[in-house]
Amino acid sequence: MSWQSYIDDHLMAEIEGNHLAAAAILGHDGSVWAQSSTFPQFKPEEISAIVNDFENPGSLAPTGLYLGGTKYMVIQGEPGVVIRGKKGPGGVTVKKTTMALIIGIYDEPMTPGQCNMVVEKIGDYLIDQGL
Amino acid sequence: MEAVVVDAGSKLLKAGFAVPDHPPSMIIPTQMKCLPADETSTEASLHEIIIDPVVRGFISDWDAMEDLLDHVLYNGLGWEIGNEGQILFADPLSTPKAAREQLVQLMFERFNISGFYASDQAVLSLYAIGRISGCTVDIGHGKMDIATVIEGAVQQISSRRFELGGLDLTNLLAQELGKSYPLVNLSISDVEKIKEQYACCAEDDAAYEKLQLSCPEEQHTLPDGQVIKIGRARYTVGEALFQPSILGLQAHGVVEQLVHCISTVSSENHRQLLENTVLCGGTASMSGFEDRFQKEASLCSSAIRPCVVKPPEYMPENLSKFSAWVGGAIIAKVVFPQNQHVTKADYDETGPSIVHRKCY
Repeated sequence: MSWQSYIDDHLMAEIEGNHLAAAAILGHDGSVWAQSSTFPQFKPEEISAIVNDFENPGSLAPTGLYLGGTKYMVIQGEPGVVIRGKKGPGGVTVKKTTMALIIGIYDEPMTPGQCNMVVEKIGDYLIDQGL
Repeated sequence: MEAVVVDAGSKLLKAGFAVPDHPPSMIIPTQMKCLPADETSTEASLHEIIIDPVVRGFISDWDAMEDLLDHVLYNGLGWEIGNEGQILFADPLSTPKAAREQLVQLMFERFNISGFYASDQAVLSLYAIGRISGCTVDIGHGKMDIATVIEGAVQQISSRRFELGGLDLTNLLAQELGKSYPLVNLSISDVEKIKEQYACCAEDDAAYEKLQLSCPEEQHTLPDGQVIKIGRARYTVGEALFQPSILGLQAHGVVEQLVHCISTVSSENHRQLLENTVLCGGTASMSGFEDRFQKEASLCSSAIRPCVVKPPEYMPENLSKFSAWVGGAIIAKVVFPQNQHVTKADYDETGPSIVHRKCY
């Protein structure tokens, strides 16, 4: 299965009537494996800050999580595994797999719970596959 | 049927159907007595074992908790086996992941509930007074949580939990009374009642110093008929929250701790947090506490000066004793109808770890 189909058929698929605003699967180095057309243009420093937070949980909270220039307030995640950010009614969930980062950006009416379900499920699947 | 909201504290368990402007229908002691089944009545009182399912805010004895919840849900609130409803729990700060998973597992597998949600007590206490951002100083029986919340999300790095609460104050009072009355046999539950009745906070530390030198004494009759006099010990108990050195702890007083927590948040949010400070928890409802807190707060530099918020008029009296429960009743009305909770299907598909994804 191509990486793009992970985005189109799974991450961007509908869950309970809602779907993500944008999604991407990136390598830990920031390389793009696949992304949705709606995914914002991000900077390499933003990705390295995210990877750094997985190594040193709590490092991103004081400054906030930046993605494509948008600032998200860091909220309760799972140290070393999931980073969650919030911006008004929307937000972002980043799940770390063995070799990749799965990023899902959601907006209302999608709920944070629904975003987590989608992103983390794909993440768990990839981890099982060794990716 | 309305969802049930449960806030299991170290001393009192608050439970009831989610009716927001009312206090919880059940406020019962969390402490349980274990009576061995085969004792005769004369020996029973010697063999009673006191069990505390909730210690320092966290559930520690899961079997006892299961029994307690069984009583609360089926006997107290009238749930029927086979027709269980939805339930919302209020968790303290820093609840371990494993504990949250164990709770959701207990609820779905033993109680067969149809829906589950859990939220932080700090967030709920703020909802109870109509805010989504602010800070809470929750002083309970077993723990004290100082939490900063922004837009409904607890800021973990600037929130702190202290293992200091009403329980430690009761022990302090027992110690003080023991010094004045070494021969009187005071049980902890007697001291607890004395504390609730008499403990208060001095107006400021100068007033406290004066009271230490001379303090009017009140007479109190113990259940066994003996009469003791309660003097400055009642103020010592209140002062311990502002000067933890009284308890032998190397920590700052509660107002300083709050200011410290707020200062670790980015400054653009300071105003919002300071202007929306909530005092909640059983111990914080001690007479004189709020006034003393406000007074100590006004001594802080004007840049970081907490300001305590008053609850809305339509809320019941004594809201601080069950504000987390009321907040739970408020969000239960939003979360369950909008299907943001963990359903049985979700649990069956993903297992207990679903609680971290859907509830926060």
